[in-house]
Amino acid sequence: MAGRGRGGKTGTLTAEQMALLGCTKDMPVQTAPPPTFPPVLNRPTTLETTATQNYQLLWKEDFLNRMRDSPYYIVSATQEPQNKEHRDWREKAMDRFKLKAQPEFNYKAMPRELNTLNRKRKGADVKPKLLAKKTNIEDRLKVLEQKELKAGSGEQDEIKQESDSDQEEEQDDPEAALDDEMDEENDYGNSYFDNGESYNDEDDNLDDGPVY
Amino acid sequence: MSADYSHLCSAILEQCFGQVVQSVADCLFLANTRTLGQLVSATKLSRKEVGLALAVLVKFRLVDFEASKLNPSLAEYALRREDIISLLRYPRYVHLVQTKYGNVGASIAEELINSGSDTATGILIKCLAEGENKAESPESYRNTFLTMITDHYIIKRPELLVSDDQDEVVPKFESNECDFFRHPNIDLQLLAKIRKGDATLAEAKDSTMVWNLNYDRFHQDFRDAIMVDAIERKMGENAAECFRFILKIMYNTTDPWQRKLSNQITFVEIKQAIEKRSNNLDLMKYLDQYISLLTDDSMGFFRRVGDMGGGLYVVDMEHAFESLAFACVESVITERFGSKAARIFRVIRCKKYIEQEDLQKEAMIPSKEAKSLAYNLFQEQFIHVKIIKKPGGGSNGPAKAFYLFQVKEKDTVRMLLDASYKSLYNTIERSNFEKNEHKGLIEKSQRLDSIVETMKERGDSEEYIAEIVETFTPPEVEILNKVKNRIKTLSKAELTLDDTIFLLQMYQHHCTSLPTGIRRFK
Repeated sequence: MAGRGRGGKTGTLTAEQMALLGCTKDMPVQTAPPPTFPPVLNRPTTLETTATQNYQLLWKEDFLNRMRDSPYYIVSATQEPQNKEHRDWREKAMDRFKLKAQPEFNYKAMPRELNTLNRKRKGADVKPKLLAKKTNIEDRLKVLEQKELKAGSGEQDEIKQESDSDQEEEQDDPEAALDDEMDEENDYGNSYFDNGESYNDEDDNLDDGPVY
Repeated sequence: MSADYSHLCSAILEQCFGQVVQSVADCLFLANTRTLGQLVSATKLSRKEVGLALAVLVKFRLVDFEASKLNPSLAEYALRREDIISLLRYPRYVHLVQTKYGNVGASIAEELINSGSDTATGILIKCLAEGENKAESPESYRNTFLTMITDHYIIKRPELLVSDDQDEVVPKFESNECDFFRHPNIDLQLLAKIRKGDATLAEAKDSTMVWNLNYDRFHQDFRDAIMVDAIERKMGENAAECFRFILKIMYNTTDPWQRKLSNQITFVEIKQAIEKRSNNLDLMKYLDQYISLLTDDSMGFFRRVGDMGGGLYVVDMEHAFESLAFACVESVITERFGSKAARIFRVIRCKKYIEQEDLQKEAMIPSKEAKSLAYNLFQEQFIHVKIIKKPGGGSNGPAKAFYLFQVKEKDTVRMLLDASYKSLYNTIERSNFEKNEHKGLIEKSQRLDSIVETMKERGDSEEYIAEIVETFTPPEVEILNKVKNRIKTLSKAELTLDDTIFLLQMYQHHCTSLPTGIRRFK
C-alpha cells in the first residue's frame, strides 16, 4: 500500500510545512465553481448611438434575416428533421408557404465536381438503349401494317410465320428479345410486380411453422 | 492567424450561411488547401452538401480554387481567411456608398452583397425589380454603376478562359490589371426587354463580366477617415480639410497600400490643388501655417523631407498608425487598470527599458502601487520583461541579473487584436444565445406586429386592435424590451469592436512586414 514504505512516511505535509507554504487553517474551502465572467473592476463606458450606427444596426439585422431566408443559407439534412420535430403547427404552416428561391451559381466558372445538379449517371449509357427500343417499335408497327393489308386469306399461316420469325430473331439476338419483353408497356420487369394476390398464400404457408 | 480569429470566422459564417458552410470553412481554415474528397471525409457531410457549401463560398469570393499541381483534374480549395471579417463590415460599406451615391448606389451595393457576384445587367435588373426606388430610371442606375466602377468601389472578377477542351475539370481565369475597371457594355434596350420577359440574361453583351465589391477601396476610405478625424479632433476642421487634399494628391503618385511612406509631395502641388477645388478662404490664406502645424505635430502624420518646390513632404503612414494604435492601447489600459497604469505604460514606452525602482520615480507613483500596476500590466501582456544577466565575480559567484520592463509594440498590438477577436466572438455568441433563449417571445411579438399591421391596413377599429395588442402581457413586454436592449447593446459593441480591429489591422499593415492580405487589386 502507498505510504507504508521505509520510514513510515505518510506523504502528507506537516502543519509547519503548510504554514511555510502560506497555507493557514482558516483558508476558505472552495465549494462552488468560479464565476463564468470575472468581476469588472470599472464600470464600462456606455456606447453612444449615432445616426450612422442606427442605420448600420438596422441594415445588419435586415441583411442577416435576408441571408437566413436565402438559398445560400444551407442547413444540413441531418439537422433539419431534428429541429422540425419541435416546431408547432404555425411554423410548419408557414414553412409550406415559404418557398426558397433557387440558388444561382455560374457552374461554368467553378470546378465541375461542384455541379451536383446535372451530373451524369456513371456506368452504362441509358440513351442508346432507349433509341434501340424506339426503332424496334417502329419496325414492329410496320410489320403490323403489312399484316393488316394482307388481312383475310391465310391469316393463321402468317401468324405462324410471324411467330416463327420472332423466334428466329430471339435466337439471333437474345438481348433484343429481352428488350422487347420490357418494351411492352414500361421499364419495369413484370416478374418483380406484386399485385398482392399472393398475400394470403404467404399467410397459409406460415401455418406450417417458421423456416429457419 | 490565431485560434481566436478562427473561432470568430466560424461564428460569422454560421450567422450568414448556416452550419454546413461553417463546418466546411472550419475544415478549410485548418489547412492551406483541401480537395473535395478530403473535405467530405473530414466534415462527415454528404458530397452534395459539401459541394453546395463550396459553391456558395466561391460565389461570395471567400474561397479560391486551382488545379492541383500533381493531378490537374483535381481542384484544390483555399479559404480567403482575411476576407471573412469583411462580412461584418457590409453595413459600413453600404452606408459609405449611400452617403456618396445616394439610394441608387446603396441599392446596387446591397444587390452585389446579396448575390455575392453577378454581371452588371443581372445586378441592374435585380435593383429595378426591388421596387424601393421605382422613381429612378434604369439610366440613373447604369450611370451610378459605371461611376462606382470608375471610383474603384466595384471591381471585375478575373475573366473565365474559354478553352477548346470541353472536358476541362477545373476552369482557368485570366487576370489583367488594366481590365479590372473597364466599363461593361450595358444595353438599356435589352435591359427593358429582359424585364418584360422578351429576352434572357444570357443574351446580354456583358454576360462574361462578373463584378464584386472592391473591399480594399472601402478600407482605403475607412483608413483615410480615421486619419482625417484624428486631425480634426486635434487641430480643427481646416487642418483636416488640408490633410484630405494632401491624401488626394498622394494617391496620384502613390499606391494606396504602400506600407511605410508615401512618395514625395511639393508645397506648390498642395497649394494649387486647394486653390482649384476648395472654397475655404481661411485655409488658402494660412495654408503654410496649417502645413507647418501638421508637420510639427507629435502624431507625425506629415513630414518635411526637403526644400525643393517650396518644401518637399511625405505622408508617414508608419508613424501615423503607430501613434493611433498606441493611443488606442493606452485608452484600453486606462479603462481596465486606471489612468496611473496608463502613465506607467507611457513611461516604459518612452524610456524603452526601465528598472522597477526607476519606474516608480519616473511615474511619480508610490512604490507599492507602481509595483502592483506594473505586475498587472505584465500579467496581461501589455508590457514585457527583459532579463540581462551579468556574470558574477569568479566562477562560483552568483550571476547578477537586471530585470528591465519594456514594451514590445508589435506583440502588444497582436495581443490586443486577438483579445478584440475574442471579444467580438463572445459578443456574437452572447447575442445568439439571447435570441435563442427568448425565441418564442421574439417570434410572438413579430407575429403580433404583422397582425396589427394588416388590421390597420384593413381599417379595423382602434379598440379591436388594442384588444389584440393586449394579448401581449405587461411582464412579457418588459422582458422583451430588456432582451431587445441587450441585443442592441451587443450589436453596437460589435460595430465598435470592429472599429478597433480595423485600426489595429492597419497598424499591422503599415508598421510591420506581416502578410495582411491587403493588395492593391485582388
